Amino acid sequence: MRLATDTGGTFTDLIVEEDDGTITLHKASTVPSDPVAGVIDALRVAATARGMALEPFLRSADTFVHGTTHAINAIITGRTARTALIVTRGHRDMLLLREGGRSEPFNHTLAYPKPYVPRALTFEAQERMYADGTVAHALDEPALIATLGQIARAGVEAVAVTLLWATLHPRHELRIGELIERHLPGVPYSLSHQVNPTLREFRRASSTAIDASLKPLMTRYLAGLSGRLADSGFAGRVMVVTSAGGMVDAQEVAASPIRIINSGPSMAPVAGRHYAAREGDWPTAIVADTGGTTYDISLVSDGRIPMTRDLWIGEPWTGELAGYPSVDVKSVGAGGGSIARVDAAGLLHVGPESAGSTPGPVCYARGGTRPTVTDACLTLGYLDPDYFLGGAMVLDAAAARTAIERMIAAPLGISIERAAWSIVALATENMVQAIEDLTLTQGIDPTRALLIGGGGAAGLNSVFIARRLGCRDLLIPETGAAMSAAGAMLSDVTSELSTTLHASTARFDRAAVNRSIAQLRRQAATFAVRTGHEPEIELIGEARYVGQGWDIDVPLPVAEFASDADVAEFRSAFDAMHRQLFAIVDERSEVELIGLRARARCRVRPGTPFLLADDRAEPEPPKSRTVYFDDAGHLDTPVLAWSSIPADTVFPGPALIESPFTTVVVDPQARFRRSTAGALLIETRA
Amino acid sequence: MTQPPFDGAEMAVLRSRLDGVVRKMSNTLLRTGRSGVINRARDFSCCLLTRDGDLLTAADSLPIHVLSGPDLMARSMASFHRDLRPGDAFLHNSPYHGCSHPADLSVLVPVFDDAGRHRFTMLAKAHQADIGNSQPTTYMAEARDIYHEGALIFPAVQIQRGGRDIDDIIRMCEMRIRVPHQWRGDYLSTVGAARIGEKALAELAQDIGWDRLEAFAAQWFDYSEARMAETIAALPDGVVTGESTHDPFPGLPTDGLTIRSTTHVDPVAMRVTVDLTDNADCLPCGMNLSEACARTAAMIGVFNSIDHRVPKNAGAFRRIDVRLREGCIAGIPVHPFSCSAATTNIADRVANSVQTALASLSDAIGMAEVGAVIAPSAGVVSGIDPRTGEAFVNQMFLAMSGGAANPAGDAWWTIGHVGNAGLCCIDGVELTELSQPLVVHRRGFVADTEGAGTFTGAPSTIVDFGPVGGPVEIGYLSDGHVNPPIGVRGGGAGGRADQQLIDRTGVASPLPACAQVSVADGERVIAVSCGGGGYGSARLRAADHVADAVRDGLLSTGRARDVYGVVIDDDGAIQTEETDRLRETMR
Repeated sequence: MRLATDTGGTFTDLIVEEDDGTITLHKASTVPSDPVAGVIDALRVAATARGMALEPFLRSADTFVHGTTHAINAIITGRTARTALIVTRGHRDMLLLREGGRSEPFNHTLAYPKPYVPRALTFEAQERMYADGTVAHALDEPALIATLGQIARAGVEAVAVTLLWATLHPRHELRIGELIERHLPGVPYSLSHQVNPTLREFRRASSTAIDASLKPLMTRYLAGLSGRLADSGFAGRVMVVTSAGGMVDAQEVAASPIRIINSGPSMAPVAGRHYAAREGDWPTAIVADTGGTTYDISLVSDGRIPMTRDLWIGEPWTGELAGYPSVDVKSVGAGGGSIARVDAAGLLHVGPESAGSTPGPVCYARGGTRPTVTDACLTLGYLDPDYFLGGAMVLDAAAARTAIERMIAAPLGISIERAAWSIVALATENMVQAIEDLTLTQGIDPTRALLIGGGGAAGLNSVFIARRLGCRDLLIPETGAAMSAAGAMLSDVTSELSTTLHASTARFDRAAVNRSIAQLRRQAATFAVRTGHEPEIELIGEARYVGQGWDIDVPLPVAEFASDADVAEFRSAFDAMHRQLFAIVDERSEVELIGLRARARCRVRPGTPFLLADDRAEPEPPKSRTVYFDDAGHLDTPVLAWSSIPADTVFPGPALIESPFTTVVVDPQARFRRSTAGALLIETRA
Repeated sequence: MTQPPFDGAEMAVLRSRLDGVVRKMSNTLLRTGRSGVINRARDFSCCLLTRDGDLLTAADSLPIHVLSGPDLMARSMASFHRDLRPGDAFLHNSPYHGCSHPADLSVLVPVFDDAGRHRFTMLAKAHQADIGNSQPTTYMAEARDIYHEGALIFPAVQIQRGGRDIDDIIRMCEMRIRVPHQWRGDYLSTVGAARIGEKALAELAQDIGWDRLEAFAAQWFDYSEARMAETIAALPDGVVTGESTHDPFPGLPTDGLTIRSTTHVDPVAMRVTVDLTDNADCLPCGMNLSEACARTAAMIGVFNSIDHRVPKNAGAFRRIDVRLREGCIAGIPVHPFSCSAATTNIADRVANSVQTALASLSDAIGMAEVGAVIAPSAGVVSGIDPRTGEAFVNQMFLAMSGGAANPAGDAWWTIGHVGNAGLCCIDGVELTELSQPLVVHRRGFVADTEGAGTFTGAPSTIVDFGPVGGPVEIGYLSDGHVNPPIGVRGGGAGGRADQQLIDRTGVASPLPACAQVSVADGERVIAVSCGGGGYGSARLRAADHVADAVRDGLLSTGRARDVYGVVIDDDGAIQTEETDRLRETMR
C-alpha cells in the first residue's frame, strides 16, 4: 500500500493506493501551526474508513509521498533561518540590485523590495576569478576567517556563498566551504556552484541564499514528519516531491531544500499527464488547479512538462526570484474568494483583492460584506446552498444575492443574474489571460490542447474557460479535487543534473560536448544505483542563437554527437523549438549550446491501474435546480451525483454534476460523459 | 447600425484581452531580441493604436516610448502611404515625423479586416544597439545636426510588402549599422512581435467583430477620459512653474540649460495644461527633443503626480494639453537639428520640472526629481573583442538607480531615469564579462547619497569597471553632477553623478560629463550615477527606518543625526529621548 499527501492552505489531501492499484481519496483540515498534525489527521480518516486503527493501517504501507508548501510558506512569512551571504569583493549589493525591472511604471505605491539576505549580513570575500579561470586575486584566508568570526557573533544560523564565476571555477567557493566547516562547525552552508550552476550571478545568489536559509527548518520539519510517522507505526520510505515534478528521499532534501520549494503545485501536471494519456492519448494539456485564493496553471507539452528558471516566490518583480529550475507553474490570485467591485466610472473589477476564507464570501455569513466569485456562483444556481462541500456548510444565498444586487447590479444598471454572470465571466477572463501568458511562453496552441480542471472549484467555470480558449475538450479527473496528491502518487524518483559548457555550431567541439554528456550519464547512473531502479535519462540542451540573452530547452535528439550529421540534427531540433516558441527562425545565425541538463527518472510505482475504488451508487431520484446561463437565461437543470452517472454514455448539457468534493457546471451548448475509469469528459463544442 | 454600448463587465473583459495582445508582442521581443539592450535590458515597447492613430493600450511599456509618439508615427504612416495593404510593414525612427529618437527603430503594421479595410495599427519599438551614427553611440550629444549625427532615418519607410521583407532596405541597413548581424536579429524579432500582435488581434476580432472592437475603443476612451477628469477634479486648483537645470554639456550654454514648464491644474474644467513654450530654441547639438518626447515628458510629469490607476491612453490624454513651440529645444524640432539623445537628458528635465512643481500644490501629489543619466555604467560600449577578433557594440545597463520619493512612500530605487520608470533590467556581471571584454571590479550603492526626506529617494550607484585584453570605447552623457536631483516639500537632494578614469598606476583623473572615451587595457572607469530626491522633511521620517539604513551600512550615524535628527548608539539602537529632543530643535 502507498500513501501520498499534499498539504494545501485549507485542506490536507490524502490518496491511498492499494497493491491492486485501486485508490481512495481523503481530506482533513490543514493545521497551519503544525502541518504534520493535518497529515496524521488525514491518515486517521483513511484508517477509520477502512475500519482500522492508525497503527496497523500505517504498518501495511511501504511508501509515503509528501507534497508540502512548508518551505515556500516559510519564505513568504519570513520564518527561515538567520542567514549570512558571502560574495566576491566589490559585489556586496548583488541581492539588493537584483536584475532591475518593474511592472506598472506609474504605480509608485510599491516599495522597493528588500534583499533576501539583509545588507548587514552580507560580507565580501577578498578574492576574484575571471571568466577564463585567471585568479585575479587569490582568496585572502585570514581575512575570511575574521569574517567568519563576525558571522558567528551575529548569531547566524546558515551561510550562503556566491562568488563570481564559481560555476566554471569553483575552487574559491570550495575552500570557503572547508573554512566554514572548520570555523563554524555545525552551521549549515550552501555553495552557489553546487546549488544552481548558472551564469546569472543574481539568480545563483538568490537560489543559494534561499537554500541555506531553509536548511535548519526543513531538516527539522522532515525529521519531525518521519519521526511522527514512525511513532504511529510507519516503517516504509518517506519521499518528498520536488519543484521539478519528481520525488526524492526525505533525508536527501535536507542537503538541498531549494529542490522542493515548489513541491505541491509541481505535481498537478504529473497527474495531468497521466489523465491526458489515459483518456485519449492527448500529448498536450493545460492543467489548472483551483484553490480558494490562487489559480495554478501548468502544462503538458508533447508529453513533457515544461520547466522554467523564472520562478517567483510572491509577485513578479517584488517577490523573490528563486532562479532555480522548476516546473513552469503560473499562479494568479484568482479564486472563489476574489472580490468584485464597480469603480466610480462604472467598470467592473474582480480581484486581486480576496476575501480568503475569513471573512470569506458573503454567503459564508462570517462577516464578509463584499460579493465574491463564490457568491456569484451561488446566485446563478451553480452551488447548492444546502450541499456545499458535501453538506459540510450551509450557505446564505439571500445575503449573496443582496450584496450582488446592491454593489454590482445597481451601479452597472443590469439584472442580478446578469451581474452574477459578469463576475464569473470576468474571473474566467482573468484566468484565461494567465493561461494564455503561459501557453505563449511555452509555445502551445490552446485550441489543440486538452484542458484539465483540478481543485475543488474547477468545475464551476472550467467549461467557460475551455470555450474561451477554444479548447474542444475538458477533463475533470475523478481525483481532480486532490490533483497534487494524485500527481505525487504518480511521480517518479528523479534527479536533475546539470552542467555549463560552451559550443557553437560554427566550431562544435564534439569531443568536449560528449565528455560533458558522459559525465552527466555517470552521475545519473550513480543516482540510479542509490535508488535501486533502472533510470530513464533525458538530456536537454540549453541553447540559443549567438548573441541571444535567453536560452531555450531543446531535448537532445541524439544520444551523443558522433558526427557532423548529429550536430546538424541538433540544430534543426533547435530551430523547430525556436519556431514553436517564437514563430521565427534565423537560418543565418549559428546556434550556441551553453548548458546541458540530464533528468534521470526511476519508475518506482508498479504498473497498476490507479483507479478510484468503485463507489458506484444506486441511481437517485432525478433532481433539478434552476440555473442561469449567459445566453439561455434561467433553465431547469438536472443535478446528477457523479458516482451515479453510467459510464460511457453521452449526456447533453445543461447539467450540474455533484460529488462531496466538487460541483461541475455543464452549460447548454456542451455535452459530457463519464469515462470507464471514472473521469468526467466534457465536449465544449467550441 | 448603432450598437448597444458595452456594460462595465464587457468592457473589463475586452480591456484585459487587448492588454493580452500587447503582452504577447512584448514577450516575443524580449525572448528573441539579439542585442543586450533588448534581450537583457528590456529597452523596448509595444502598443496598439486605432486606425486614426489613437493609443489604445501599451501595457507595461517604457513611458517615454509610448505616451505620445506612436500616435504621431501612425499618422505619418497613413499620410505617406495612402494605399495601405494587408502584409505591409513600415520602419519608422524619424524624430521629425513622430518617433522618439533615431535609435528607437519601430515597426508599424496596419491590421486589416477580411474586406481589406484598415482597422488598427500594431507598433513595436526597440532601442537599437547601433543605428549607424558617425560614432558608435546611440546618444550623440555633441552632434551638430542630423548630418553630423549620421543615423539612418526612416520616416515610415516600407520594409515589408505582402508579408515579405523588401531586401533593398535590409541591405542598406546592413551596410551602415555596426554589427549588422546583430541588427538583423533585432529587426527579425521586432517585426515578429508586430506580426504576432496582428495575428492575435485578428483572432480577437473573429470572436468580437471588427465593428464591435472599434466601438469598444471609442467607449474605452470615454471611460478613461472620465477617470482622468474625476482625478483632476480632486486636485487643488493652481498655476505652478517648475524648473529643472541640465548640466553644462557640449552644445549647451556654459552654465547649463534650465528647462521651464508652467502647469495649470483646473479642477473645475477638469483639465491640466503644461506649457513648454518658454524654453530655449533648438541648439546645434544632439539634445533637442523630438515632438514625441516633449509631449510625452510633460505627460509623464503629470501621471507621476496623480493616482496611478487612471488608464494611459488617448482617452485620458484628452484631458491634458501640452503646449509646444516649433523650433524649441523642448518642443517641435526643425530638421536638421539633431534629436539623438531626445529620450533622456532634456526630456528628464521636462518631466522633473512638472512633477516637482505639482508637489508644491499639495502634500498628496507630485514627486521629487528623478536622477539624471546617462552615466558611463549605462554607456554604449564598442570595440574589437580580443578573444574573438570580432567587432561589438551595445548599450550596457550595469547599474542605475535615480528613483524619487513621492507622497505614497520611498522611491523604487532602480528607476533608471524618469522616462524609463524602472522597467529596464540590469545586466549581470558574469554575462557582461562574457559578452564584452570587460571586468566589473565593484558595483553597488553609495552610502549617504539617498535623497533625505520623510520618504527617501534612491541612493547613487557606483561601478568600477574596465577592459581586459585590449581597449574599448565608451560613449556616455552624464547629467546631474552640477545639478543633482532635488527634493520637494523639504526633502533633500539625491547624490550627484560623477566619473573618473583610473590609470594603470592607480591615479584618478576626472572624466568630462559627456564624452566618447577610449579606455586602455588595465585602465578603469569609476562611474557614479545620480540618486533621487526626497519628499517631505527628513525630521519626520520614521526613526526605525533610519536605524535600519544605519544597520545596513547605507547611512552613517552622523548623517542620521545631522539630517534626520535620529540619534543612534554604537549598538545600532535608537536613543529615543535624545532623538525627540534633537528633532524638536530642528523645527
